[in-house]
Amino acid sequence: MRVRTSVDTPASSVNEAEGKTFVGPEDLGAFNPAKALGEPGSFPYTRGVHRTMYRDRLWTMRQFAGFGSAEDTNGRFKYLLEHGQTGLSTAFDLPTLMGRDSDDALALGEVGRCGVAISSLADMRRLFDGIDLGAVSTSMTINAPAAILLAFYVAVGQEQGVPLNRLRGTLQNDILKEFHAQNEYVFPPGPSVKLVVDTIEYCTKHLPQWNTVSISGYHIREAGATAAQELAFTLADGIAYVEASIQRGLEVDDFAPRLSFFFDVHNDFFEEIAKLRASRRIWAHVMRDRFKAKQERSLLLRMHCQTAGVTLTEQQPMNNVVRVAFQALAGVLGGTQSLHTNSMDETLALPTEEAAKLALRTQQIIAHETNVSQTVDPLGGSYFVEKLTNEIEATAYGIFDQIDAMGGVLKAIDRGYFRRAIAESSLDQQRELDRGEQKIVGVTDFVEGGPPGVPTLKITQATEDAQIAQLKALKQSRDKARHRAALERLRRDAASSANVMPALIEAAEADATVGEMMVTMKTVFGAYDGGPEW
Amino acid sequence: MDTQSHPHPRVLLAKIGLDGHDRGVKVLARSFRDAGIEVIYTGLWQTSEATMHAALQEDVDVVGVSLLSAAHLTVMPEMLRLRRELGIEDIPVVLGGIVPDSDHAALRDMGVAAVFNPGSPLDRIIEKMRELANGHPSPRLDEIRAGYAKKDPRSLSKLITLVQRGEGLIDWTPPPGRAKVIGITGAPGVGKSSFIGRLGKLLRAKNKKVAVVAIDPSSPITGGALLGDRLRMMTGSPDADFFIRSLSSGDVQGGLAPHCREVVAILNGYGFDFILVETVGAGQADIAIRTIADRTILLLMPDSGDAIQFSKAGIMEIASCFVLNKCDLAGADAAQAQILTAVGDNRPLWKVSTVRDEGIDAVADWATSA
Repeated sequence: MRVRTSVDTPASSVNEAEGKTFVGPEDLGAFNPAKALGEPGSFPYTRGVHRTMYRDRLWTMRQFAGFGSAEDTNGRFKYLLEHGQTGLSTAFDLPTLMGRDSDDALALGEVGRCGVAISSLADMRRLFDGIDLGAVSTSMTINAPAAILLAFYVAVGQEQGVPLNRLRGTLQNDILKEFHAQNEYVFPPGPSVKLVVDTIEYCTKHLPQWNTVSISGYHIREAGATAAQELAFTLADGIAYVEASIQRGLEVDDFAPRLSFFFDVHNDFFEEIAKLRASRRIWAHVMRDRFKAKQERSLLLRMHCQTAGVTLTEQQPMNNVVRVAFQALAGVLGGTQSLHTNSMDETLALPTEEAAKLALRTQQIIAHETNVSQTVDPLGGSYFVEKLTNEIEATAYGIFDQIDAMGGVLKAIDRGYFRRAIAESSLDQQRELDRGEQKIVGVTDFVEGGPPGVPTLKITQATEDAQIAQLKALKQSRDKARHRAALERLRRDAASSANVMPALIEAAEADATVGEMMVTMKTVFGAYDGGPEW
Repeated sequence: MDTQSHPHPRVLLAKIGLDGHDRGVKVLARSFRDAGIEVIYTGLWQTSEATMHAALQEDVDVVGVSLLSAAHLTVMPEMLRLRRELGIEDIPVVLGGIVPDSDHAALRDMGVAAVFNPGSPLDRIIEKMRELANGHPSPRLDEIRAGYAKKDPRSLSKLITLVQRGEGLIDWTPPPGRAKVIGITGAPGVGKSSFIGRLGKLLRAKNKKVAVVAIDPSSPITGGALLGDRLRMMTGSPDADFFIRSLSSGDVQGGLAPHCREVVAILNGYGFDFILVETVGAGQADIAIRTIADRTILLLMPDSGDAIQFSKAGIMEIASCFVLNKCDLAGADAAQAQILTAVGDNRPLWKVSTVRDEGIDAVADWATSA
């Protein structure tokens, strides 16, 4: 048994020591299948959010991509749409993710590298040029400046004449995990959550088809958390957003159906499946019992999964194809609604087209050749999987209690709780490796010499120069009075704790840049230095 | 050439640029500490320039750069150029991160001492750090004293290392100075380092030369240390007249570091106007600061109950003034009232917020006027 039942339990856990070679009914205690599992599509949704799951509708194969300039990505979007794809998934470059313009000093060498560079409404217009925003759904992986990118999207939609209630898409918009793990935060935690609630409130009123927050465990896990920590921290973040939204005066059933989740699928096959099953059961209970949600859609934990980038190895990179396949299978057996499979070369560079295609083919083989899609939750009732599910659930509730005892997620961030816990788990895993207790094929064992055998993608510097030139031209040509007035209104609204979305849209239309809007809000909200624990 | 061999070499770990992937660097920092190394971590979003200036001021034995943004062929030449420019070519620079094998030769050729990839065993990395630190040429005391007299920052930084190790002050004392020495103390997490960073900047704006001594605890078992105060003070372009030095507490009790008084004297003799000393942050036990500081600021925050704890422990008595930080959070007014009650006299109390950069100018005015 490998579940780590407590954040305080060292990596070589007690459970491991008392490991059993098989699990039987006696290990499940007073397990009541009707209560603990229900049927697929019914409370507590352990077995899945739909009754028929993949028989009626396969999971969405959502491969995340983005590169270079707005024009480059626009070309890729159109290609994908012409080939039948209806959902677009946008990766932004690092400066955009950090709320900085392409001409910022710290952006040097990063513009358009790992995603598309968007500094202004003009860039956003170019990104969606010739694409009807009323006909596509757009996912945007962005956090600290998420409200600004949403404002850009709304502004482009309005220019196209699309009614707001027809705009469909997803913002990642999960700032809390940035404080725990990914480090793409700008403002302190309190104002950051206020901005998230601003987008939730705005979308609830105006963009009813928009998925407001994709509450993410992926980055927490990749930073070194255990499976149980990933689950518990993510759901705790979810609880924090729900609480903050209710405090704003929103009705839980008005916004909860538009929250979704994003998990990592790591190597420990059954533990990962158990984690996904437990997540649905916990969320259903939390929403019904803690927040008194009435609508069924509020109780459903809908998830996107991605295979674990951190498990990929530079050595013998073809082995990664096999790792990804097993992880993807665990995601499917865990009942995910959509899935991204990593490319085997991602530990070396951005994926080549060949590698990205093979990653997609992996999903298609699981979907169409293995028959696992034909039976919902095929592992339900397995003594082992149910025991793991129960244990992860119990650990998660234990962690919720710790967080509640600290006064909630924001207080726990103030104390450095999440960062410390993740760093400790990460160090434990490294020590296991160093002691030879964990093996990595091709790295710790079965090692071969020689250079890696796959070609990698190279990216040129020309994009950066062109993007910066366009931005400078925009700053010269815009209506300066209108620009100044819009930023002044943004500052005023932020200071008066009004919802900043209308001011952000006005500033977007006045050609204010991402960096300018962030700096304006920083004068009110302050800048975060990472908290007590680094 | 003589080489120095010290049980606790100093290693600076840095991340450069906007990339926030810090899992690897954090694992390294903690493993180094557990292997008896003093680690100075400069945090996220640093420039090459700030990093190499930090290496100079901290007098480290090795600089380790973590890069997962594929920018190594842009960043490393810049780091090495700055190393040359600052005259610290004796400090080896190593690189860790996602670096294709095909780039290794080019990096070594340009002068990178070692390249580590994900999967490099910790033991090997630690061994390499010690090997590089031991190969570090030993400083000559007379040259260092001469350099110090000529206001060479590299000599200042090396002299501090020697003095900390119990050498360097034998038959020699630094010239007297006119610095105001201000101690900054308070419980862990109250924001001492961020506050000092802001205060230091404001004093610089008043054209004062500022030195900071930031003390963090050593591991009692291995003697290693994680020195992380600096990362909260490095918010701007590097500045030769804003000298920051991170020290480990060693086995010294009371919130200071070995030979702290002598370190302060060296900084004073060098010509700084202000020396800000940040204590370990053990809270109630940090009382040794009064023996070296002219004045002491006690940092507090809302909602912590510190005022009561501190007044019980008597630490309120050693403070010359009080700064209530994090006034952007709820409960600031209540905390202010509580502190005023606990203080019971007319020592000043300021409300500040380091995240919003508010209120600190009043403290800077107090520091320069009194």
